[in-house]
Amino acid sequence: MPTETIKINVPVLARVEGEGALDLTIENNQITDLKLRIYEPPRYFEKFLEGRNYYDVPDTVARICGICPVAYQMSATHALESIFGVEISPWLHAMRRLFYCGEWLQSHSLHIHLLAAPDFLGFNSVIEMSAKYGDEVRRGLKLQAIGNDLVTLFGARSVHPVGVKVGGFSHAPSLEETSPLLQRVTDAKQDAVDLIHWLDSLGLPDDKQDFVSVALQHDDEYPFNEGRLVSDNGLDIPISDFENHFKEMHVEQSTALHCLLDGKPYLVGPLARINLNAAQLPTEVRQVMRGLKTQFPSNNMFHSIIARAIEIYFALVEAERLLSNYEPTDQPCMDVTIKAGTGYGCTEAPRGILWHRYDVDADGCISKAVIVPPTSQNQPRIEQDLKDSLIHFGLDQPKADLQLHAEKVIRNYDPCISCATHFLDLKLVRDGISENTSTTFSHADLSATAIIGIGSPNSGDELGWQMIDRLSEKEKFVQHKQQGLTLLKLDRPGIALGEAISPYEHVLIIDALKPEETSQPFVCIHAEQLTPAPGNLSSHATGVPESIALLASLDQLPAQLAVIGIADCKDEFIEKITSLF
Amino acid sequence: MTKPTLAVHKFSSCDGCQLALLNLGEPLLELTGLIDILHFAEAGPLDESAQVDIALIEGSVSTSHDIDRLNRIRNNSTYLVTIGACATSGGIQALRNMANTDEWIADIYANPSVIDSLDNSTPIKQHVNVDLELWGCPITQHQILTAVRSLLFGVLPVDEHDKVCMECKRQQHVCVMVTKSEPCMGPVTRTGCGALCPAIGRDCYGCFGPSENPNTHALANRLQGFGLTNNEIARRFLFINSGSEQFHQEGSRWKT
Repeated sequence: MPTETIKINVPVLARVEGEGALDLTIENNQITDLKLRIYEPPRYFEKFLEGRNYYDVPDTVARICGICPVAYQMSATHALESIFGVEISPWLHAMRRLFYCGEWLQSHSLHIHLLAAPDFLGFNSVIEMSAKYGDEVRRGLKLQAIGNDLVTLFGARSVHPVGVKVGGFSHAPSLEETSPLLQRVTDAKQDAVDLIHWLDSLGLPDDKQDFVSVALQHDDEYPFNEGRLVSDNGLDIPISDFENHFKEMHVEQSTALHCLLDGKPYLVGPLARINLNAAQLPTEVRQVMRGLKTQFPSNNMFHSIIARAIEIYFALVEAERLLSNYEPTDQPCMDVTIKAGTGYGCTEAPRGILWHRYDVDADGCISKAVIVPPTSQNQPRIEQDLKDSLIHFGLDQPKADLQLHAEKVIRNYDPCISCATHFLDLKLVRDGISENTSTTFSHADLSATAIIGIGSPNSGDELGWQMIDRLSEKEKFVQHKQQGLTLLKLDRPGIALGEAISPYEHVLIIDALKPEETSQPFVCIHAEQLTPAPGNLSSHATGVPESIALLASLDQLPAQLAVIGIADCKDEFIEKITSLF
Repeated sequence: MTKPTLAVHKFSSCDGCQLALLNLGEPLLELTGLIDILHFAEAGPLDESAQVDIALIEGSVSTSHDIDRLNRIRNNSTYLVTIGACATSGGIQALRNMANTDEWIADIYANPSVIDSLDNSTPIKQHVNVDLELWGCPITQHQILTAVRSLLFGVLPVDEHDKVCMECKRQQHVCVMVTKSEPCMGPVTRTGCGALCPAIGRDCYGCFGPSENPNTHALANRLQGFGLTNNEIARRFLFINSGSEQFHQEGSRWKT
């Protein structure tokens, strides 16, 4: 049986907050390698919290994630208050729920309308989508704005709110501030119901999988800030017991700390919460759920978008209840007495449980901090899901379809890359080569652009020249030449390459691949990826990579330089190169 | 007529400043009528190497390949604008500049050799020419709209670099420093946030960075008068904008 290798490399995954990338290798219709790569560099929050006063913690941890700062502040304050023995008043308990409603509304609405719905409706972005689905987009923006304003009510702004203290809030909003919000919340409830029905009618993929859901659970309420950790697999522990069951591991050559429950992947987030806690949802929310095609508990990850919409409706119902009963207080913050000790906090961030642990010394300074964000918990589950769902989707599907499906699967988890404090930036030199057609010359000034074929008329080394000849015949390049594009043949790299490149701002080099060194018939490499691992292209004494390294050292590289290696002059490759212009 | 073009690029950051755009609501749709957004990974459009009129940069430089990417962005853009504390002063993660990063990495990661992380987190202006800096952690919608609008008219917006105190007084808030001895950073911090912290009765913590002519030393002495220890004074300055020259100097003076 012939070996077929498909490599998909999605350099920047659009519409994932933060930036990630996916590597996928398929051989003989089997997945041999699958890695979700993350571009967020480490920022060391846990380390620079050490030595800071406890009262700096809420303003510090908010900066871990601009999309869910409330979650970070709530997990941190609850953990520190548990050390200091702070008893939370009923007012504070209620208002922290209201504060959190704001973040769920904001984050879920952002995800559904700006990040996920364009996928399901076949648009590249919300901007394109708004031309055809203007009302739906406006409804989403309206819900998102209510969420932001609920956070602002206590936090004075929605991103990195400033109102949170260990012990409570800096101030209690006045009735003049809460009354208009109550009206908007009440008015928006119908929007949320319409949103749920709209998503329920989209016809989401049917992709049932076997996975374990984990969430907080509380006897009296749908979980935000308090509860025990439970799973649909029998787990039921206090949050302080987390480290005995969940382990964070720095996987060899992996992109992130992976968190596993008893050695296995698990799911956190809206779908896990609803799977475990639907009974705690208010009656009016459960009534709407009963009328849906989509039923919970569900083991189809694509239902997570509906779970998010249901939680939007829940957040509005809960906010309405809390705002209706609202009375200002003159004690928005509990008294805090510093004590040494260890404390745990776990709250339900929009994307799932966010677990914190702090060790505090007798002066109230942090001696150790551990933060386990939801995305690092979901990461092993995402990889497992991708393997299953891509097989289900069909590994023989065209590359573009596989890529789109993979992106949809990943987006179901709403991975917030920057909020994963542990995500690494793994060095990206895999043989110096990756199939990467993300380069484009479509914006290049043609009079400052050159395509250079490297080779000779001799057999075995003629591909670069042949490709230039083939491209010159294309109608598109005939036109481009009239507009100033240069097509060149060069017999060897080295210093001559530097001279050939020097007049141009944008350069594409085409060279033959050494067949013995790669199984890929077509590769496209950015110059800076090429230099660290020379030796994969052609057999010229001074190869293209060495020449580029030399030019780089002389600071003579053009603004844009890409190298394409070809093993053949197939029409397919000609089309690929043409599409770059 | 073709529309002016814009790109949003992210380096090391929390994504919060991009939300100043994503949280615009209806004005976001209006904005896309005025300009073409060619690259904004968080919102969909992807074309990192596009030539643009305005490039907005969020985040600080913190890994070895950031610098090359930044140079390419600079070459591809007419105006380069930094948005937020990370891009403008190195951000909260610049706190690592005063620590031994290798030890930190070894403490967190089992396999430190795979971590690509520079010892310092540095602002964009340390590497390329910056046409406009928007301070703030996070920046506000007002800042971004004013900046884009001004640049579309071909001018730079007025640099608002007054102290937070000025805005606080204009809003007639009771001074938290005078009445409650709060260690407020308002006297040395750039305005633009709307004096949010004193408005709700707490101390400013300097998230918009240094103001014009900040008298940091006089403030530090006052904080000492309130009974803060030297390290507590240092931490007031070495926080969200520890990489800014004025805060870095004052903080270092007190750090023991």
